[in-house]
Amino acid sequence: MARDLALLIPEIAVLLTAVGALIAEMLRRPQIALLVAVSGLIVATGLTVSLIGEDTTVFGGSFRVDDLSVWAKLILLPATILAIFLARVDVRGTVREGTVYSLLCFATIGALVLAGAGDTMFLVLGTLLTGLATFALVAYPDTDPATEAAMKFFVFASVTGAIMIFGLSYWFGAAGSTLLADLPGMDTMPMAVLLGFVAVVVGLGYKASLVPFHFWAPDAYEGGPLSIAAYLSVVPKIGALFALAQVVRDLPPESGWTAIIAGLAVLTMTYGYLAALAQTNVIRLLAYSSIAQSGYFLLGILAVGASELALPSIILFAAAYAAMNLGAFAVAASTGRTLNDFDGLGRAQPLIGLAMVIFLLSLVGIPPLAGFVGKFLLFAAVIDVQYTWVAVVAIINSVLSLAVYLRLVVPMYRQGNVVVARTDIWLKAVLIIALTVTLLLGVFAQVFVGPFA
Amino acid sequence: MLPLVSLTLFLPLVGAVLILCLPKPATRTVHVIAIITAALTLIGALSMWFQGASGAGFSQVEELQWIPAIGAAYRVGVDGISLPLVLLSAVLFLVAVIYTSSLRERPRAYIALVLLLETASIGTFTALDGILFYVFFEVSLVSMYFMIAGWGHEDRQRAALMFFIYTLLGSLPLLLAILGLYLGSPEPTFDMRAWIENPPLEGAAAMWALIAMLITFAVKIPAVPLHTWLPAAHVQAPTVGSVILAGVMLKFGTYGLVRFALQMTPDAFREAGVVVLVLGVVSALYGAFAALAQSDLKRLVAYTSVNHMGYVIVGVAVAAITLDPSVRTVALDGAVLQMFSHGLVTGALFLLVGMIQDRAHTREMGELGGLLKTVPMLGWTFVLAAFASLGLPGLAHFPAEFQIFLATLSASPAAVVVILGIAIIAGTFLKALRETFLGEPRQRWQSMPDLSAREWLAVGPLLVLTVGTGVAPSWVLGIIHRTTSALAL
Repeated sequence: MARDLALLIPEIAVLLTAVGALIAEMLRRPQIALLVAVSGLIVATGLTVSLIGEDTTVFGGSFRVDDLSVWAKLILLPATILAIFLARVDVRGTVREGTVYSLLCFATIGALVLAGAGDTMFLVLGTLLTGLATFALVAYPDTDPATEAAMKFFVFASVTGAIMIFGLSYWFGAAGSTLLADLPGMDTMPMAVLLGFVAVVVGLGYKASLVPFHFWAPDAYEGGPLSIAAYLSVVPKIGALFALAQVVRDLPPESGWTAIIAGLAVLTMTYGYLAALAQTNVIRLLAYSSIAQSGYFLLGILAVGASELALPSIILFAAAYAAMNLGAFAVAASTGRTLNDFDGLGRAQPLIGLAMVIFLLSLVGIPPLAGFVGKFLLFAAVIDVQYTWVAVVAIINSVLSLAVYLRLVVPMYRQGNVVVARTDIWLKAVLIIALTVTLLLGVFAQVFVGPFA
Repeated sequence: MLPLVSLTLFLPLVGAVLILCLPKPATRTVHVIAIITAALTLIGALSMWFQGASGAGFSQVEELQWIPAIGAAYRVGVDGISLPLVLLSAVLFLVAVIYTSSLRERPRAYIALVLLLETASIGTFTALDGILFYVFFEVSLVSMYFMIAGWGHEDRQRAALMFFIYTLLGSLPLLLAILGLYLGSPEPTFDMRAWIENPPLEGAAAMWALIAMLITFAVKIPAVPLHTWLPAAHVQAPTVGSVILAGVMLKFGTYGLVRFALQMTPDAFREAGVVVLVLGVVSALYGAFAALAQSDLKRLVAYTSVNHMGYVIVGVAVAAITLDPSVRTVALDGAVLQMFSHGLVTGALFLLVGMIQDRAHTREMGELGGLLKTVPMLGWTFVLAAFASLGLPGLAHFPAEFQIFLATLSASPAAVVVILGIAIIAGTFLKALRETFLGEPRQRWQSMPDLSAREWLAVGPLLVLTVGTGVAPSWVLGIIHRTTSALAL
């Protein structure tokens, strides 16, 4: 028990942080809530470092402390800090400012629970925990679009959650246990395996905004505060995708789950970018882009269990994605929500323009930026398991994505209106951190890949 | 021992960062830093040149751990094939920044892009690691895109977009091929030396990898029918962009053809050699005929590039097909020298066309005329460069093309039909010279100024090297030959 708790120290720290921020908010001290949240998350990140290389489970196998779950903490906790910085810009001075910081921490616990899930019940718990916190966050501005967005988000979550729980009951019936580690025992019942898997994909796929469970995402991103959109596009998504990786690790390979994931990957990437091509609202464009990026994660998930490159590639790409996506959202936060707002940005604000170009090129996967290193390993992993055609589709999509992101870059260097970009200290901090990671991740890729080989 | 290769490679990048970091520098300062950086880089390239390359394998190798878990490392080095191209890049970038020193429109960003491109170019030629090669290969695309999109002519946005999407689509198959080579290696590594030593793929896998590489390099070279981006990009690109695009970046394709396709999948290349040969012949002839049909001077020069690079493809294909090592050596000598010569000559031609455009604001040959009398120095330099381009003996292209045709004649005589290209290109240039430079000078160009000191400094070195390489090609051929004759395929 003591050992189990010791291994869970980072999660406990995040929980205490969330509670602490909440208490500060109850005392009407939003500044203190911010301070508690940020310092608590930094401490939690620090506590995680000692767990690198750990590969064990706690509480009877129901929660895993392995590479996926440890790196989830190392990526998602700093990402949450950046999201809090962005949120500070959005909600400063509003009535319940501190609750936002507290809710962000609660939602992050949910994502961490997902990423370390060793038990089907943790999948349910994680989706609910992130879900409940984020509904409230989307609805926070108390405007009509925000309320509508939160409502859609909520209904979608309820339905997909119900489907997932229903499907998990098949697994429980077939395996006689809720542990993921017991899933291989079901290989005599392929139909039950498949039905349960489809249901899990529905539940986690909604959270990761995989096509066709993505419909809520553009609306929620657009309706809610921008910082919450940035958060939704990174933390819960990566949590859900890591959970999917945890699930497929134990799935019998002959059950045909790879075909489902391959199909979803192709569908998600292609639809995401095609839809992004038609957007004129930057937030919706970034929403569809983040949908498409989920498809790239699936390449790595496809290779889980069969290729040594699978887990490193997912983790590396998650780190890259978190940095470049938060960076792009931060630029949008400083500039505006429509494509017209970006007219002339590169000429008026050369540094912010340069940063945006770097984030977008990284999202395309242009070397030597972080996104390239991640995608490169993802392609290697998927070719390693003989799914070359999926890699080819992914590559063609990368070209398509160039067209999507250049739609943002081209107006930036037009002779345009004088852009008044907000350069808050918090925004600057996010930009600098995200930019540093995006530029240098490739050089230090060994840190992510090393422990596995 | 100084890490010469890395120093030369990253010097331009340091210059670019320096220029970006200076708070509000004067235009003059920017240009001075650019010229100093490019000159230092040339000195670096020259010291690499004098260090030389041993016969077999790579010399001056520098290695640094990067991602040992997947066998990727920072590895750079040169051999007789890459060394002339490194020197060529350093020379062309120096003349490019000299030429561009009159630029007043956002010089800081422009120069930073040019210097970034120089690092990417030298990196592409010196990289000995699959990932590293790909990184430099792609970075060059990005900087060229922004150069065309930001500083090009009328229809630049469309041309830049077409260039970027076309070549990105083209270069991604190479990524697949690199991954294939990696996963096929007995011990997973991205070390290109290991891939050359022991080609990791065989049979169908090797053929697929070769096809992927051929697509990439055919787009880059560009070979017919994948050349359509080239005229658009060239016409819209700023002069320096064209010089670098034609002088340096097209060589990425032919260099890759030798380094990757020929050296890493030799057996598959031998099997498919005839197809590549036909591709080269068609490309050379098509380029020549297309050039003949142009009325825009810049498009004309752009199409002669397609022709000249077609000869390189022919040379490499012959080297792959032939079983006689001596013929292979001659073919490769010719191909590599042709890359070098083409860089010099086409660089000079694009500079001169740019100078004409700066003065006349048109590139239509019909509107010009009699320029030899109005601007004699510009005229005669153009005549010299044009004669070099059409393969006149004593100028840079002649020894290269001669060796390529010689090898072709002994390996697959039918392909010598490509020699017709020379005649057509000669016709093209003679027509261009007559329309642009001969005849009576026109009234509207009377006040046109002749070459300025800056322009002399830009185009002069290229012409000197053109004559030097034509008269005594052995100064380049020596170093090329040492490697090509030791090449085991």
